[in-house]
Amino acid sequence: MFTQLKLESQKLIRSRSFLLSFCSLAIFVALMLWGFYSYAERKAGEQVTSQFKYTYESKSYFNGLTFALYSVMFSFSLLIPIFVAMVGGAQIAGERQTGTLRMICVRPISRISLILSKFLVVAGYTYLLVAFFIGLNLLVGLCFVGWGDLQLYPGALNLVDEPGKLLRDEALQRFAYASLTGTWALLVIAAIAMLFSVLFESASTATIATLALYLMFLIIGRVEFFENLRPYFFTTDMDFWRDVFKPEVPWDSFRHYGSICGAYIFGVLLLGVVIFDRKDITS
Amino acid sequence: MWPKTLLTFLCLLMIAGAIHFDPSRARSLLASGARDGPRLRLLTWNIGYAAFEADSRAHTKDLKAVAETILNNDPDAVALQELTGPDQLKVLLTNLHDRYRGVIAPAGSSDRVEAVLVKVRDARFESFAADGKYGVAATFHFSDQSPEIVLASAHADAFKAARRRVFTGEVVDWARNRPRGSIVFVAGDFNFELKAKDESHLYTDNVKNDSEAYSYALKYFRDLAREAGDTAVDDRRIDYIFGPKESVALRRAEVLRNAGVGKMDHWPVLVEVGL
Repeated sequence: MFTQLKLESQKLIRSRSFLLSFCSLAIFVALMLWGFYSYAERKAGEQVTSQFKYTYESKSYFNGLTFALYSVMFSFSLLIPIFVAMVGGAQIAGERQTGTLRMICVRPISRISLILSKFLVVAGYTYLLVAFFIGLNLLVGLCFVGWGDLQLYPGALNLVDEPGKLLRDEALQRFAYASLTGTWALLVIAAIAMLFSVLFESASTATIATLALYLMFLIIGRVEFFENLRPYFFTTDMDFWRDVFKPEVPWDSFRHYGSICGAYIFGVLLLGVVIFDRKDITS
Repeated sequence: MWPKTLLTFLCLLMIAGAIHFDPSRARSLLASGARDGPRLRLLTWNIGYAAFEADSRAHTKDLKAVAETILNNDPDAVALQELTGPDQLKVLLTNLHDRYRGVIAPAGSSDRVEAVLVKVRDARFESFAADGKYGVAATFHFSDQSPEIVLASAHADAFKAARRRVFTGEVVDWARNRPRGSIVFVAGDFNFELKAKDESHLYTDNVKNDSEAYSYALKYFRDLAREAGDTAVDDRRIDYIFGPKESVALRRAEVLRNAGVGKMDHWPVLVEVGL
């Protein structure tokens, strides 16, 4: 199993999608920074961008932590899932497409070990991706915007119902927690991508099917007509990861939705394992 | 075979976890409009006088002003402390034009009683004992779809912190044992002295007792008016409305500092929450 994990990790690190995902996230952070600067310039005039953090009514509101929070929140729903689906979808279907799956399966390792080690590598990749993204945002926030406490207001993020504050060290701790909860939430997508990777012949079909399913639920969940269906979408449950940024973490709700995500992860993965174990590999 | 068994076990464990941990509010999604259910307004007020007055209980002549404050702020339920007895409640309800129903707690060995008033007609009332004193609670449905709401009115000892600690512990235990699914608020004058600078000598353990009592309440409830400031003269914050941690969203918390009449030493605390 460990050798298998090592092999799969090497395969992933050498793939183009690995580098592409990290580069894309770095570009996204740069765009976010540019977006925030240009927004401030438009709102308060050119002279203020030299003292960016003072362009807001509350002098302590906008800082590196606020920047990181906004950046992480907005990218989490739409950007990071693409890379997770891409890597997850390529795991089995990619091997099949390149004709190596049959060869791997004749080696003396069980199919279950193969698919589980692939999933563990995807899980590790997902954590790396989330941790890298959060770390980069914090670093850019620190260098270009400055440090301070994380002040939270009801608004676009729909994170809190009332104004609240996290002290700097506490906020940094919450970002660290978010790397774990974010990974857990994204593993739902990874598990679905793995299942589709087992079901479909090509990696791109598996990736597109995963993203289509994810985006469909994500969009429908935000349409008023489907409000009653919203609790049944896995995208609604995935949103639990943001709760760690609330001044008072709603633990019951957090555990509830975290458990539902866990049920999706293990349930879908089990289905993928069972199908892959019985599948006739002809390619 | 064992990986499949392990995955099945983990999946079932997660399902059991999801069933066990009950989220009290539906998820709010990123970038979607904040949803707000019906708003419940609660008020607590110790309408007694300062301790150095000849009679520090509520005075009947003030009840008209008390009723006016209640009517002006239109709370759905009210917790009152330091009434003299049923006669004062009757006068107050009359001044409220019978828009509220209410009951008082049994007096026990005390010369003053707590009361709870509710606007809805189908409320149930019950009294409860804590450390030899009595509190009173109302249980009602705010709307047809809303869960059962419980508001308890309590008054802790003004002079002995050790008694306040026991009393608070018993009130909190009573409140957290209400039927599952009901939303419980505990309101009243708890007399906590939590400012260490005022009680910093070695001859008292008031701060220790009060901070432990307050911490115990916060273990299960949320201090809804924490940011609203002092609730009594001499810069004291001794009146509280404790509510559930997750199932309601705080919309407003205010101490009505212009509402005091006569020689009252407390101001009413008003809290509005989204259900």
